[in-house]
Amino acid sequence: MEITSKNRKSSSASFIRSSAFQRVIIIAVVVLLYIFFYARSTSFRRYTTIVQICSNMYYTLLMAIGVTFPLITGGNDLSMGTGLICYSLIGSYLIRICGWPLWAAIVITIGMGVLMGTINGVIIAKLEIPPFIMTLSMMMFLRGMGSILTNSYSGTWPDGADPGAGFRNVFRLIVQTPSGRMPVPIGMIWMILLVIIMTIVLNHTRVGRYIIAIGSNKEALKLSGVNVFKWHVFAYVISGFMTGLAAIAYAATFPNITPGQGAGFELNAIGAAIIGGTSMTGGSGSVFGTFLGVLLIALLQVGLPFVGLNADWQLLITGCILLAAVTIDKMRNS
Amino acid sequence: MKKVLALVLAMMMALGLVAAVAEQPTYHFEIVSKGFQSTYWQALYKGALAEIDALNTEAGYEMITMHMDGPDSESDVAQQVQQFTNALNANPDGIGFAAVDQNAFNDLLAEAVEKKIPIVGFDSGVPGAPEGAIYANACTDNYVAGTIAADNLFAAIKDRIAAAEGVVRVGEVNQDATGESVTSRGRGFIDKFIELASAEGWGVAVTGNEYYVNNAQGAVAEADAKIIIEARVPATTQVDQCANEAAVILNEADTIAIFGSNQTAAEGIIAANNNLFVLGSGEGQIVGAGFDAGSAQKAAVADGTLLGAITQSPLDMGKVTIDVLLAIVRGEEYQELYDTGCAWYTAETMNDPSIAPNLYD
Repeated sequence: MEITSKNRKSSSASFIRSSAFQRVIIIAVVVLLYIFFYARSTSFRRYTTIVQICSNMYYTLLMAIGVTFPLITGGNDLSMGTGLICYSLIGSYLIRICGWPLWAAIVITIGMGVLMGTINGVIIAKLEIPPFIMTLSMMMFLRGMGSILTNSYSGTWPDGADPGAGFRNVFRLIVQTPSGRMPVPIGMIWMILLVIIMTIVLNHTRVGRYIIAIGSNKEALKLSGVNVFKWHVFAYVISGFMTGLAAIAYAATFPNITPGQGAGFELNAIGAAIIGGTSMTGGSGSVFGTFLGVLLIALLQVGLPFVGLNADWQLLITGCILLAAVTIDKMRNS
Repeated sequence: MKKVLALVLAMMMALGLVAAVAEQPTYHFEIVSKGFQSTYWQALYKGALAEIDALNTEAGYEMITMHMDGPDSESDVAQQVQQFTNALNANPDGIGFAAVDQNAFNDLLAEAVEKKIPIVGFDSGVPGAPEGAIYANACTDNYVAGTIAADNLFAAIKDRIAAAEGVVRVGEVNQDATGESVTSRGRGFIDKFIELASAEGWGVAVTGNEYYVNNAQGAVAEADAKIIIEARVPATTQVDQCANEAAVILNEADTIAIFGSNQTAAEGIIAANNNLFVLGSGEGQIVGAGFDAGSAQKAAVADGTLLGAITQSPLDMGKVTIDVLLAIVRGEEYQELYDTGCAWYTAETMNDPSIAPNLYD
C-alpha cells in the first residue's frame, strides 16, 4: 500500500515535470481567456471572431512549426519573418511583373524558403557558426534582398477577379448562405493535418529522432556513426520550407505585401514554440505544443482589442506567458 | 613652330574644358522618408527621381544626385534617427525630411543648423523643429485632408444617423498617435465630424485612444451623445494589427461607418472585412473610407467595398521637394509652404485625369 502511494506520488511528480503538463496549462489558459473575452464583449461572441483567430494563426503557425525543429537541435531561426516577406514579394513579382503562372510562383516561393533554409543549415552545421548569428545575418540579407529584387515595390498576389485568385480559398472558403456570405476557415483543417504529420515526423521517424538527439547529445550521436551534419541541416530545411508555406499563407490572408515588414514575425513564432514546451536548450519539443502556443498568441491578439486593451497589452501579456514558460522549462530540466 | 602652337592650343582647349567642367555645379541631396513601407513612399521616390532626371537632362550633365533612405516601419524612430545622422554625416547640399516622430530630432536638427545644411520637410515635415532648421515644407495639409474625409462620409450616412433610434458608432483606425500626418488627419476627421453633427443638433462623444480623445474639439460625454467616434490605434504599424483593431469596430452592432487614416490602416480595414463582409453602401452595411491608394485599396473603392478615399499627390511632393532644395542651394526665391494638395476619389472619379496619376499601385 505504501509502495503504491509512493508510486502515485512519483508518477504525479513526473507528470508535473513533463512537457504534457505545460500543454495542459496552456489549454486551460486558452479556455479561460476565451471565456473571459466571451463574457466581457458581446461583439467577441460572433462566429467571425473564430475566423479571424484562424486567419491570424496560419502564417505564424507555419513558421512556428518550422522553427520548432531548429530549436530542438539547440539552434534558432531568426530569418523567418523577413524571409516570409521576401519570398512572398518575389512570388508576387513573378506573377504581376513577369507574368508567371500561379503554380510556378508558388514553387519558387517555397523553393526560396528551402534554399535559404539549406544555406542556414549548411553554414551552421559545417562551420559551427552560432545559429543566432547566422540566422540574424540571413534575416538582414533577406530583408535587403526582398526590397532590391522588387525595387522596393509592394506586391499583391491574385485577388478578386484575377486569374488564380482561387488560391485564397485554400485558407478561407466563402459560402453563400441565405443571410449572406459566410467565411469558412478551411485552412485550419490543413493546419491540423500538418500538425499531425509533423508530430509523426518528429516523434516517429528517423528524422525526428536524430534531430532530438542532436539537441540532447550531439557527440554521442556522432560516435554512434550517424551523419549528424545531414540531419542538422535538415532541421533548417524544414524551417525554410515552412517559411515558404507561411509566405503563401500570408499572401492569401492580407491584401498587400510591403517590403520592410516581417521583422518581428519570427519572435511570435519562436515565442509560441517555447510556450508550447520546446526547450530553449534543445533536445525536446512538441509540434502540438507549438500549435497551442500559436493559438494562445492569436487569441490574445484578437481578443484583447475586444475588451478595450490595445495590442501593447498583448505584447506585455505574451511576454509574461513566455517568461513563465521558460521558467517552467528550466524547473523541469533542473 | 606649328607643332608648338598646336600643342599650346590643345593645352588651352584642355584647360578650358577642365575649367568648364569645374564651373558646373553639382549638388547632392539626402532624402530621409518615413519608410518604403507603403507604395505611397515609393511614388514619392519616383516623383523625386523623375524631377532629378529632368533637371540633369536639361543641364546636360549629372547636376543632382540623390540618396533616399527610410526606416523599415513608420514606428521605427531609432532607425530613422540613425538614418538622419548618416544623412547629416554625408554633408549633403540639402536634406528632404519627413519625421516619424516629431520630438526625436531636435538635437540633430540643431546640428544641421550649425552645419548650415538646409532641410525641406515633406509629407508631414517636422512640426515644432528648432527655429531656422526647416527652410520650407512640401506637404499635404493633413488636417484639411481629414476634414474632407469627414465631409464625404458624413454626407453618406447623415440620413441613417437621423433615422437611427439609438446611438450610432463611427470608427477611425489610425496606425499611430505620434506622427504628424496621421494624427492631423485623425484629428481633422474627428473635429469636422463633430462640427457637422453639432450643426444637426447631434452630440458626438469620442472614445478609444487617449490622444484622439483628448484632442477632440467639441466632444460631449458618452451619455449625451447621438454619435460615438471610436478611435483605435494598434501597437505596431503592421497591417495585421490594424486589421485586429478594425475588426472590433466592424463587429459592433451600432457601427455605421469607418475611416482608415492612411494606406496601412485602410488595408487593415479591408483585411478585416474579408472575414466579415460588412462594408458597402447598401442597406445596413458599414460605409468605409480610406486614405492614399495601393492596389488593394483601389480595388476596394472600385468595387464599392469602400465609398471612397483621399488621395494625396506623392509624385508632386517628391518633385517639389527637389525643386525647393535646388532653389535654396542656388540662392533663388522659394516659398516656406507648398501645399501639394489632396482630393476625395470614388469609383466614379478615380479615372479622372486629375486623380488617376496619383493612384499608385
